[in-house]
Amino acid sequence: MLRTVICDLARLRLSGSASPAAVLITQVREKGHLSRPRLRNPYWFIRQQRTRTDDLVTGENRTFIKEVVHDTYGVPALIKGTQTYEQKQLIKTTEAPTDAEPWTPAVRRCGLIARKIGQYPLWLKNGERVRTTLLQVVDNHVIKYIPPEEYRPTQRPNVHHLNKYGCVLVGAECTNPALLTKEYCGLFRDSGVMPKKNLARFIVSPQAALAAGTPLNVGHFRVGEFVDVRGKTVDHGFQGVVKRHGFKGMPASHGVTKTHRRAGNIGGGGEKGRVWPGTKMPGHMGNRWRIIKGLRIWRINTKYNVMWVQGSAVPGSTNGLVYIYDTILPLRKPKDAPPFPTLYDNADANEPDDIWYDQVHSFKEESISYKPE
Amino acid sequence: MSQILLRNIKRVGNAGALLTHSSVASPLTVAAAVGISHQQLHTTPACCEIRKLARLRVVDNSDLGKRAMAEGRPPRCIHVYNKRGVGLIGDKVLVAIKGQMKKGILVGLKQKQRLKQPQFDSNNLVLIDDNGSPLGTRIHVPIPTVLRTILKEKTLAKGADYTKVLAIASRYV
Amino acid sequence: MNVNARVLSNRLAQQCSLKRIVTFSTKPTQQAAAVAVPQQKDAANSAPVRKPIVPAHYRFVYPEFLPDPKVEWRNTVREKLERLDMLDRRRQIELPEFYVGSILAVTSSDPHAAGKISRFVGICIHRERCGLRARFILRNVIDHQGIEVVYELYDPTIQKVEVLRLEKRVDDSLFYLRDALPEFSTFDEQMEPETLEEGTPVPINDIKVVLRPRPWLERWERQNLLGVANIDQYIKDKHRKSAEKVQKPWEKYDMMKHYRATIPEEEQKEIFAEVHTELHTLELQRKRNKRKRSFVKPKQLA
Repeated sequence: MLRTVICDLARLRLSGSASPAAVLITQVREKGHLSRPRLRNPYWFIRQQRTRTDDLVTGENRTFIKEVVHDTYGVPALIKGTQTYEQKQLIKTTEAPTDAEPWTPAVRRCGLIARKIGQYPLWLKNGERVRTTLLQVVDNHVIKYIPPEEYRPTQRPNVHHLNKYGCVLVGAECTNPALLTKEYCGLFRDSGVMPKKNLARFIVSPQAALAAGTPLNVGHFRVGEFVDVRGKTVDHGFQGVVKRHGFKGMPASHGVTKTHRRAGNIGGGGEKGRVWPGTKMPGHMGNRWRIIKGLRIWRINTKYNVMWVQGSAVPGSTNGLVYIYDTILPLRKPKDAPPFPTLYDNADANEPDDIWYDQVHSFKEESISYKPE
Repeated sequence: MSQILLRNIKRVGNAGALLTHSSVASPLTVAAAVGISHQQLHTTPACCEIRKLARLRVVDNSDLGKRAMAEGRPPRCIHVYNKRGVGLIGDKVLVAIKGQMKKGILVGLKQKQRLKQPQFDSNNLVLIDDNGSPLGTRIHVPIPTVLRTILKEKTLAKGADYTKVLAIASRYV
Repeated sequence: MNVNARVLSNRLAQQCSLKRIVTFSTKPTQQAAAVAVPQQKDAANSAPVRKPIVPAHYRFVYPEFLPDPKVEWRNTVREKLERLDMLDRRRQIELPEFYVGSILAVTSSDPHAAGKISRFVGICIHRERCGLRARFILRNVIDHQGIEVVYELYDPTIQKVEVLRLEKRVDDSLFYLRDALPEFSTFDEQMEPETLEEGTPVPINDIKVVLRPRPWLERWERQNLLGVANIDQYIKDKHRKSAEKVQKPWEKYDMMKHYRATIPEEEQKEIFAEVHTELHTLELQRKRNKRKRSFVKPKQLA
């Protein structure tokens, strides 16, 4: 405060003087607070739930609201294993755009929002057992596409990436709009999609742009391909080093007192006489965003929108939300074109529900037997 | 004194068979046996992991192995020839048996095994010489079929011929 | 509040009839048996009650169709998909009814074996897990060597599961056979399957197993085993005292524990209603095939 006053005074005093060299501006070392990156939340980060004051609404009015919701969005329905609303007349885009550009390896596609619904083993044709996690794609629709010119990410990209990628806003899981705020429902107005519980943005190349209202299904990915899965890990709360970092702790007996699950020494003396950054110590465990990369898709069920991915270490709890992306691992990227920009559902009844990768043993096949030498 | 000893031995029963030879009384062994009977030394269940000083059971009919087992002084593992220091099935180990050092191959483990692979009630060992040929001529317990693959692979990798162990097996599980 | 209400309703329910059933225990509890009798009387007195579609014994015959009762792990879609896969597998292979204590022969393809096939005969000492992960442990003594093998029920490398002797034991798992004399877990590999007449209940074998002296692998004296004969012979007073200390006699009254460890009866009905027709047709088909086979190959009397 005092400093600004002094600065202003100085400026006043000097403004009259003729020499331009004497103009005092804020010094470089004090400039930090001016150029600090400010957190700019994306515009869809707004309050979702309305404060509920139902006590003033009569029963008749409540049924009326329900009717209005059903008239505009359709009746509740169970579509592909997810409880949602039948919103046929509202979804505008189910056909592929005619002027779609071809896929190239450098292109970034949109991702999906899914729920982790559990784990169980599958067997390969050579008898090997693989543990898989089931991810169900829950009622995904494109809400909006923001082209590169208009998209302003939270962190300003460098010159190389400037205006290179656009953003697709995807919503998952329809919900009753009567419970939501007006502003939040406004996000969905132009797309014609029913208000969704969960939103996610995916950074895409302009070639992979998707029109608002496009439904996204598990057919967006193919069996045998690799995906990255992002999720929030299970919250363990504040934990000690034994649980958090797998330290051994100390012996139970032999004169050890009060140090059975403690870390022990956390640093040396002399030149390094301090606690080094990154030292493993007790603290909050879990509840972090983590990406697990390069999981192979072993099997896909289009009826329930479920994919089986390799491993049982997908971050998050069962029934937790995860985001699925094309993998960024260079050696596991797809060689030939995946469905681009996405698979448009053409309702082909002949296709089987279950799509198995070549190496996976389908339970409908006979038992595995090996050829005698 | 000897009554105490006898009672102890009776109580220890089958497992105490290891102690019976010590009833050939020199005063020192009697004292040792009495001391032992309280702690029941040598009657603890064998270590499930094969690491140094794990007691093993020789299951071939080699003279040395038979005598060692009959005497109740089973061989002890004194080295495991792998990088982890814990012997898995098909691994070569060095054992101390009747005052000698001999090599052997683990042919059955008490540890948890993979699905569909057998888990045995004892840690079984077949004695071999340096070239990989077994000292005995017969294995008198079943051995797991995985050994066929493991030993064939090891034969290729290590140079020594371990498949002779498979040839003297009486039965696979 | 909610929990309270649940507990209360549960207590009421238990007073009327046993509402919840332990998922894994194969033997009907005494309480259940006691309750079952008056119910039948009621049914006789009152108006004709609609018969339940799903036979009550299905939860013992197909325990793996019931999901893990842990609430955090449940998901209806996953459970449904899992059941569909299990049925698909059951269409390929006959997975017969068996219990802990039954003697099984499992034929599985083995890439390591000479004929690429291996057969193992043994007594089922443990059954665990549910869904596609269901598995069981077989134990046998071959050439005086105790051997145990873990099999997964839905593993596609398994080619055949035969039940050589269908029976139950008095305990839920028979791990104590590891510490018993070897003759109690020795079974002939060339054993012929023993046929049980249709409609007869599964016999319960109440054989008392003789244990070897200590040291044991587990502290059997603490586990209230019914199938062990000579446990008192080997334990001292201090063991007896410590065993008493760890007993939890109040647990049978812990309704929340019971609730968390089981699937509610209504849900069980729902699940089995879904798979019942399929399983039933499979059973019938198997029976027909068996009759056909037995007719084709009449046994010669020597």
